[in-house]
Amino acid sequence: MDSEKIFLLFLIVFVSTSLLIMAGIVTSLIINSYQIFLRDGLSFIFKNVWNPVKEDYGILPALLGTLISSAIAISIAMPLAISLAIFSAEIAPTSIRGFINSVSDLMASLPSVIYGLWGLYVLAPILNQYIMTPLYQYLGFIPLFSTKPIPTNLFTAGVLLAIMITPFSSSIIREVYNAIPHHLKEAAYSLGMTRWEVIRTLLGYIKSAILAGAFLALGRAMGETVAVAMVVGNTFTLPRSLFDMGYTISSLIANQFPNAEAYSYMMPALYGGALVLFMVGLIINLAGLYWIRRVMTRG
Amino acid sequence: MSWAIEVQNLNVWYGDKHIIKNVSFRVPKNVIFAIMGPSGCGKSTLLRAMNRLLDLNPHARVEGQVKINGVNIYGDNVDVTWVRRQFGMVFQIPNPFPHLSIYENVALGPKLNGLVKDKSQLDELVKQALQKAYLWDEVKNDLRKPASMLSGGQQQRLCIARALALKPRIILMDEPTANLDPVASSKIEELLLELKEDYTIIIVTHNPQQAARVSDYVAFLYMGELIEIGETSTVFTRPSNILTEKYVLGRMG
Amino acid sequence: MRLNKRKIIDRLMLGIISVLAIASAIPIFAIIVNVYSEGARYVSLNFLIDLPPPPVGGGGGGIGPALVGTLVLVALALAIGGSIGFFTGLYLSEFSHTRLAQYTQMFLQVMVEFPTIIVGLFAYMILVAPLKRFNALAGAIALSIVIIPYIALNVREAYKSIPYTLKEAAFSLGVSAPIAYLRILLSAARRGVLTALLIGLAKAAGETAPLLLTILGTTFTYFGGLDQPINAIPLLIYNFALSPYEKWHQVAWGAAAVLLTIILAIFIVSRLMVKEVKI
Repeated sequence: MDSEKIFLLFLIVFVSTSLLIMAGIVTSLIINSYQIFLRDGLSFIFKNVWNPVKEDYGILPALLGTLISSAIAISIAMPLAISLAIFSAEIAPTSIRGFINSVSDLMASLPSVIYGLWGLYVLAPILNQYIMTPLYQYLGFIPLFSTKPIPTNLFTAGVLLAIMITPFSSSIIREVYNAIPHHLKEAAYSLGMTRWEVIRTLLGYIKSAILAGAFLALGRAMGETVAVAMVVGNTFTLPRSLFDMGYTISSLIANQFPNAEAYSYMMPALYGGALVLFMVGLIINLAGLYWIRRVMTRG
Repeated sequence: MSWAIEVQNLNVWYGDKHIIKNVSFRVPKNVIFAIMGPSGCGKSTLLRAMNRLLDLNPHARVEGQVKINGVNIYGDNVDVTWVRRQFGMVFQIPNPFPHLSIYENVALGPKLNGLVKDKSQLDELVKQALQKAYLWDEVKNDLRKPASMLSGGQQQRLCIARALALKPRIILMDEPTANLDPVASSKIEELLLELKEDYTIIIVTHNPQQAARVSDYVAFLYMGELIEIGETSTVFTRPSNILTEKYVLGRMG
Repeated sequence: MRLNKRKIIDRLMLGIISVLAIASAIPIFAIIVNVYSEGARYVSLNFLIDLPPPPVGGGGGGIGPALVGTLVLVALALAIGGSIGFFTGLYLSEFSHTRLAQYTQMFLQVMVEFPTIIVGLFAYMILVAPLKRFNALAGAIALSIVIIPYIALNVREAYKSIPYTLKEAAFSLGVSAPIAYLRILLSAARRGVLTALLIGLAKAAGETAPLLLTILGTTFTYFGGLDQPINAIPLLIYNFALSPYEKWHQVAWGAAAVLLTIILAIFIVSRLMVKEVKI
């Protein structure tokens, strides 16, 4: 009995270490950022200024950059992810399904710095030449496209993020889709529906799972640092169109951190940005997990 | 008379459900003692209460006493691993460790419990156990092969050998032939009749005919209550309880 | 709707779905092709060992210090993060009915998708600031923290998938809990556990953000000690790719080819192992 108790204690020590680390992370964000919140209050989040000399900081452009690039990413990624999931689950011949899933999993495990490198030197020029410049030339009167594009901007970041998060959300959707009880599929077919109509029906059945997948993917897109930092332009301006260069909160931290020790309030500003990012990401991830749990227990 | 095991006022709950209700009985040494009853009556739970395998289930609660040689295994300061070593257990679905060879399956228990001093002793122990389980001749040239390649009946005999290797006093069997074909089943039943010379065997069965065939004593468990207990011949020919009669005549689940 | 029209729509939609699906898979092939076509030409034994070249002029150069750094950091991260993750995962599996397990699992699932730059900020606070310089240990700790959730959740799955009857068989032999879990059942779960560790390995080798704020990325020493700055392949790629020097861009591509090869190798190995389990 003793050895069992000791073993249990031993395990609990490790579990507690995991929990302590997580608590420590959140705590470190708070205690390293309170100075800026103390001084500026919540206006810190909504100010558009980054002036180290005057020690005046505001993360609004970065926050907007995070939201815009993630929004672009999700709108591109969701149709792709759903298509990939359906293609793998329904359309592709069974023999290559394993291959497709492996490719998808490989994409999900690729280091983000490789995505960033490729994004910077391959994707950005291509997007600039074939998509951004034409859009600017012909549709530049629309506010979204009204900036003369430079290859590294919010749009490129959004597209790169889309590429990165598609496999992840795709595998979630695919798993839930495959778990749909077979008799529901049979019922749909027996009503004389075409393949597409059956798929559409089943997709409606797993709406919550798709929503959950979107939330989780959004969380990931918002937190991605390195790949974004390499293609987003890293300019502190308030974005007015999709083609503006910009910052995201995480790329701001990555970029400005080397300077931070020289100033009094920059470090707290960066930790403050991290705290905001953490809170937003937490809410989104919890929402996603909540929806997933609902889907799993219902189905 | 000394008893192999004594159960006194045993009660088991799963959460709020009262599974074993105030069961008491005594099992003599070197007999085959059958516990029979319809599905869901608590037989498997009762068996697992005896070697404290029930402890693995976090929702199970046990009250009462189970005594081996006068020692209450649920008392304070009792080493649960010692308790489990007094028993060998065979399960309903043969469960040899699939990632181990035939030899390793039998050798694992003695090795981890430090029962032998060197390899040749271990080899001898494994051989004896496999012989006792009537499996030696069939596998003696394939000892290093994985256990998963044996047939169902052979796997079950391997599990019996695994249990015997620990030199237990009591062998617990949870419906050991439920998933075997009739030929394999009867081989195991013959084996039991031989084993009782050296061991006490407590066998749970959902098949009253099997209880009638192999056991010396039988207990009839119904909805967690001990309805009747006695010598097999008596219980089957002159049951004293109407429920027992219905069960042995096959008129009950 | 007339049947013909429905059939047309059916064909159309299936076609669109297929096109989108294939489109989403194109980038990975493009990346692999581009990385190797741009970078493989620079990779040689010297490339793996030498110091980086100066920004302009000078000879070929290599990623020696970064490679050593990655090896050191990954080994440490696996040792620390792997053990914490393993025992946490074991607890989550075998004591899943406790509230501690339920809360911890929920937190770990959130941590998996955590912005890794925040982990870097934490490591900076507890290890870089006190020592007043960037150091390898901070990077290793940051990487460990990143991989703990992956390893814990996968180890949990590995142990959860052991049939209950095997667990009963193991305990019925009268062995103590540590021996049952760590000798008998670990052996039964070894493929899943190994996969978990491989995932951790791949993550530790490829993550950049945790290193940005912790190790500095010094390019000239191979290994100066755990309390000194160090480099790592992903960080080198990041720094060199963003530099204005063509020479360093080439080194970045070469390093990317090396890193991609490592990741592919790990991926293939873990796929092969999982395939065996399924049979």
